[in-house]
Amino acid sequence: MIDDLVLFQVVISSFLGGSILSLVSRNCGFARYVIYLPSMVGSVLAVFFSLHVMTGSPLSWTVPDVVPFFNLEILVDGVSAFFILVIGTVSFAISLYSIGYSKEYQDTKRISAFGFLFNIFIASMILVVSSNNGFFFLMFWELMSLTSFFLVIYNHEKEENIRSGMTYLVMTHLGTAFILASFLLGYIQTGSLSFDSLRASSQSFPFLVKSLMFVFAFLGFGTKAGIVPFHTWLPKAHPSAPSNVSALMSAVMIKMGIYGLVRTVFDLAGPGASPDYAWWGVLLIVAGSASALIGILYAVVERDIKRTLAYSSIENIGIILIGLGLSIVFASYHLVSLSAMALVASMLHTVNHSFFKGLLFMGAGSVVYSTHTRDMEKLGGLVKMMPWTTLLFLVGAVSISGLPPFNGFVSEWLVLQALISSSQIPSAILQISIAFASLPLALTIGLAAAAFVRLFAMTFLSKARGKLAPGIGEVPRTMIAGMAVLASACILFGLVPSLGISLSTTAFHLQYQPSSPFDAVALQNASGKNFAALSMPVVATIMACISLASFGFIRAMGGKTARTPSGTWDCGFGNLNERMEYTAASLSQPIRAVFKPLFKAHNESDKEFHLQTNPYLVRSMRFSSSTRNIFEESLYNPVVSSTLLVLDKIRKIQTGKVNSYLLYIMVTIILLLLFVRMSHA
Amino acid sequence: MLSISDIALGTVQVLVLMALSPLLTGIMRKTKARTQKRVGAGILQPYYDIEKLLRKDEVVSDQASWIFRVSPWVNFVAIVTAAFFIPVFLANSPFGLIGDLLLVVGLFSLARFFTMLAGLDVSSTFGGLGSSREMMISALLEPAVFLAIFVVAITYGGTSLSTIVESASNSAVLPHPQLIFAAIAMFVVMLGETGRLPFGNHETHLELTMVHEAMALEYSGKSLALMEWSQSIKQILLFALIANIFVPWGMASSASPYSIGIGMATFVIKVAALAVGVAFLESSVAKWRLFRLPDLVAIAIASSMIGLAFYYL
Repeated sequence: MIDDLVLFQVVISSFLGGSILSLVSRNCGFARYVIYLPSMVGSVLAVFFSLHVMTGSPLSWTVPDVVPFFNLEILVDGVSAFFILVIGTVSFAISLYSIGYSKEYQDTKRISAFGFLFNIFIASMILVVSSNNGFFFLMFWELMSLTSFFLVIYNHEKEENIRSGMTYLVMTHLGTAFILASFLLGYIQTGSLSFDSLRASSQSFPFLVKSLMFVFAFLGFGTKAGIVPFHTWLPKAHPSAPSNVSALMSAVMIKMGIYGLVRTVFDLAGPGASPDYAWWGVLLIVAGSASALIGILYAVVERDIKRTLAYSSIENIGIILIGLGLSIVFASYHLVSLSAMALVASMLHTVNHSFFKGLLFMGAGSVVYSTHTRDMEKLGGLVKMMPWTTLLFLVGAVSISGLPPFNGFVSEWLVLQALISSSQIPSAILQISIAFASLPLALTIGLAAAAFVRLFAMTFLSKARGKLAPGIGEVPRTMIAGMAVLASACILFGLVPSLGISLSTTAFHLQYQPSSPFDAVALQNASGKNFAALSMPVVATIMACISLASFGFIRAMGGKTARTPSGTWDCGFGNLNERMEYTAASLSQPIRAVFKPLFKAHNESDKEFHLQTNPYLVRSMRFSSSTRNIFEESLYNPVVSSTLLVLDKIRKIQTGKVNSYLLYIMVTIILLLLFVRMSHA
Repeated sequence: MLSISDIALGTVQVLVLMALSPLLTGIMRKTKARTQKRVGAGILQPYYDIEKLLRKDEVVSDQASWIFRVSPWVNFVAIVTAAFFIPVFLANSPFGLIGDLLLVVGLFSLARFFTMLAGLDVSSTFGGLGSSREMMISALLEPAVFLAIFVVAITYGGTSLSTIVESASNSAVLPHPQLIFAAIAMFVVMLGETGRLPFGNHETHLELTMVHEAMALEYSGKSLALMEWSQSIKQILLFALIANIFVPWGMASSASPYSIGIGMATFVIKVAALAVGVAFLESSVAKWRLFRLPDLVAIAIASSMIGLAFYYL
């Protein structure tokens, strides 16, 4: 039998080894392999390790006094193992992808520094979910934030990237401050930052302290996860980062926020099973619904591919939060099995989102790799030039839109079932408000399909709307292989959903287990009747049978088909060109018109006439339309400008004269002496 | 899990739906023609159309990619798969343990997703126009569908269609006032999903009114047959859903030939009556402006919300 601890150390050291090797390798020809092979090995081992822990017993490891007063405490239980599994799978695919992707930077930049940060980044995420001590948790959390910050500004030649990197840095540290506050509250109660002592005594904390801990954790981890209104860093940082980094950040790093919330809520500050705690769940449901709807609304109108994907991450984090919130509400009313179902829904969506968002960001990276643009309005027609990327991107787009038989459908199905089950909560107000909360979620699911039809069609179908560089071709094989790994995970988790479900139930030690992987996911209502059931393997079989049967039927009825190519129907105009196609902006115009107040769309048109007196004969016309981000305009800008104003006032005490600084020191000493004197008396 | 007789009965129900769907389209066209003082084509015309198109070769745009060629198949397969879960004449749906109402909605979305892609694939302005409108309408319909399902699910204890239909057909009269509101919502959803007036008009190929037709404009031959047929099947599925959830009586509770016969007959009568009703409605309303449609969807949503409040209070 392999020792879990050794395996864990090997995982971490292969990433560390990778980072050191990449520094040593410099920019030699095979540097790409030196950087990413260790991280691939580490990822595979991490997956193996997490499965081993999940099926066996938790790994606990303490190194006393690594830093004075603080023991390095590592605890890998089912929940940690679950997240390590996600990190491992996704980073394996992304490392594989990066071997090819780094070619783009090989000649112009130092990829060794990149490889160093990349390896440390993955290792720090594994360490975050494994630490069992507040101090080391925050250390690794910071390490994760800083490495990802440097990766975001890797293309620092562009002013814009530095700016979005700074936004990310500031936001993520605000978040860390809240997490620290939450841990310090626990420290005041227990006198220790160890999670074990929190766990042991959190049941006896006063209600107010627990609630404060929860609120701080929600704010802190929520910032990392990208909950509205703390999401503004996300649509800036993701497009700026190189695509393999955006894939890692969106697929895995924002899930660390979810991990932190789960850990705090269900483990450390454990809510009691009393309706007093229901508002925790309600807060998460409200925040989740808002994030989901606002995220996807901005995704529908965005023209930057990677920013669309970033907004859609906000949406999916919202769906995950709705599941978590429902789980807390159910738990507070002793509805144990419903609580478990909602938690499984939420965790399953976490895994699924990691898979398809990683895939989609890699796909976007491939598009940028070949075409050097992220602007949908210029793209189009890639289906003929990049067939594999198109196919794999389509798998991701269909999965994220929640369409059967792919994985997104199953987790969204479970979240919707959890929402419907809210009818069992014995409180009319909660019943009605949760039922109404399903409205934004349903709208989100509808809009998500629209957003991804638009993203896919504008990027890959039809003819290019702008001038693309000649000679665009398929990306290197390693990139395709990386995407294919996650695409097959999407298909597998869609066709056999019990895989993902039993992973989550094992991780959280929940009772429910499907007896065979091909069983239906069956839910029962109070009277024991079948509430709902879903068996994706059978659905897929039915689909396959129908395809065969209908193909046969039509072949028998109509015989072989001859296809005559011809021009697209142009009403006899005869000169159809790409300027007459629908653009990304015009495609989403109806949706933009319906949700006008949110976008504050600003249209400008400029006409020139043949004759000033005749407004019917237009010589030329320009039209521009822009949407604005109301969060930045009405929430962030006032805060930022008032903070600057206050700081400006404070600056006046910085006179630059030595005498005044001496005065400050003296005043401080006198005040401190007074304070000591008073507190003694 | 599925017995041979289950599979056989379920498949028979699907074949019945597939076979009857063009007839339903024919009846609706005939009714509309008559209300407009026209003679109209015979009610069997849709069969002749499909049969003719199936024998034709295809003209395909030189811009089209494989997405365009695959879409009619995905469309057809998704909708026929959905048919397996729809109750037709049996109260206890044979495939009730495989999928539920949400799966049916999901399969419809899958079909729609590929139809929209096909519309955008051929770089035709018509396709873009249809897809753009469909994007808005379908996104707005989603909450209306889900809330209506929500009301039905909490009333009958589940989204599983056999649970719903069994509990519904066992009740003597429609016992729950909230179902009336859900029925209103479902009716609006049905009009939107099938592109009936006031959402869209099947009869014309005018830029002003086209939604579904615009996306399918480039299709010909067998692909067009698949698109048209799946549209008819989708229509009969939605009619069957409304008829059997809200007017559930007369369905066969056992597999005896007698009760199946009764079930068949009542099913045909219910669906035909609904079709004639919708055709009359179509003759009496005009196409609404695209940006007034959100109001109609809002009515459906509000109606479901009233239903929810009725249930809980």
